[in-house]
Amino acid sequence: MPQEKEKHVTIDFAFRRELDQIIGGDHHNYCYQCGACVAQCPAAQYSESFNPRSILLDALLGRADVLLGPDSPIWLCTNCYSCYERCPQDVRPIEVIIALKNLASNRDAAPSDVATMTENILKTGVSGLITPAVQRIRESLGLKPLGDYPVDEMLKILPDEGKQP
Amino acid sequence: MKVAPFFGCMIPIKYPQMEAAFRRTMPNLGVELVDIDGFTCCPDPIYFKTKGVLDWLTIAARNLCVAEEAGLDLVTLCSGCTATLKEAKFLLAEDEDLKERVNERLMRVGKEYQGTVKVEHAVVVIRDELGIERVTESVVKPLDGIKVAIHYGCHLLKPSQIMHVDDADYPSILENLIAAIGATPVGHDRKLLCCGKGCLDGDMPVEMVFDIFTSIRDSGADCMGLICPTCFSSFDLGQIVVGRKKNTKFDIPVIYYFQLLGLAQGLAPEEVGLNLHKVKADRILAELAGGEAQASA
Ligand code: SF4
Ligand code: SF4
Repeated sequence: MPQEKEKHVTIDFAFRRELDQIIGGDHHNYCYQCGACVAQCPAAQYSESFNPRSILLDALLGRADVLLGPDSPIWLCTNCYSCYERCPQDVRPIEVIIALKNLASNRDAAPSDVATMTENILKTGVSGLITPAVQRIRESLGLKPLGDYPVDEMLKILPDEGKQP
Repeated sequence: MKVAPFFGCMIPIKYPQMEAAFRRTMPNLGVELVDIDGFTCCPDPIYFKTKGVLDWLTIAARNLCVAEEAGLDLVTLCSGCTATLKEAKFLLAEDEDLKERVNERLMRVGKEYQGTVKVEHAVVVIRDELGIERVTESVVKPLDGIKVAIHYGCHLLKPSQIMHVDDADYPSILENLIAAIGATPVGHDRKLLCCGKGCLDGDMPVEMVFDIFTSIRDSGADCMGLICPTCFSSFDLGQIVVGRKKNTKFDIPVIYYFQLLGLAQGLAPEEVGLNLHKVKADRILAELAGGEAQASA
């Protein structure tokens, strides 16, 4: 027989308020744990350690250690938007996961690809490298060479790189 | 009709064959493409949005402002660009305070987001603005006998609250566009499975690509047809990498819809850059050439 354990639930409201500040993060408050988001979640089908309902539960409990820690499940999400499609509460679970990823990035706890790709875009205005080989292939297809992108203008509309105002 | 293409970065830089196919096929449907200068990366809805949603939204709004200044609706070719730009429009329409916050930033470069231009993926523009008959009318070499397994990709359809393209569970837009060029759309079990590219960790995408290609192989299709460069990167080179890991070889060419359309409009395979793909479409091209030889015999 399983022993009756004493049940303590601690909720970290400070962390939840922090999550509320990120665009889309505030919708975590609407979750009533029905699990509709799980049914068509590919990450849940392909990995036992992933479940969008549990991520939302951890968000409701404010468990920053689980969600932003080194073994956080949030990075397994494939960004497929099935959960957004299914959720009856307008939680938009994927957007909550992305808001959590923002918090992880602010704490330097995101996979290094995220910073690398973002830096590339901020440096050049585009996500890929425009090499002479790229220009040659374009020419062979009869396409114009790629030129400059308005990087200065793009940077001016971002207050301090990476920091939220 | 006149529209401004938003090519994004992945297509012009990594897969310019898709740009070439699009530029060569759209005029045959009666569309005039007006290039606008001044766009940047949309920005990408996976990495950049992961770093900071507000910055992602601000740059997307700036791109939309560039189209507003030109007074032209945008047609997108990449599901990622479509997702970013349409979601940005949605968020800015939904939340007046957020729009103000973004506009305060845009003011520094003399811009203001109004929300006056439409954004749609090219396949949606064809269906809704031109009509699929226009595609059929442009065909000179129908792709008779070619079986195309469709891969929808996630961001054309979901979330339907934002995308408004089709039923997310029972879509038909790509089937209809494939049938319009004379090819046969083939259903398969994993038609709606995510390509896995947005997953930033682990081996999961390998399993997903493996399952998708196993399902296509079982369907007997000659090739895969799709509309998103990110899915393409998972599948063209991706099927080779996954095949090696799993000790199998799929050899299923992956073809962007506008390349298929180009072939049906009589363009040569090199004009739509099929030669640049890792998995060659030789069998299909031979079948098409054979059919033609028979027809003229
Ligand atoms: S996020 Fe939505 S679908 Fe998922 S458990 Fe919460 S309320 Fe249900
Ligand atoms: S977006 Fe992420 S959490 Fe939502 S269904 Fe897809 S993989 Fe699962």
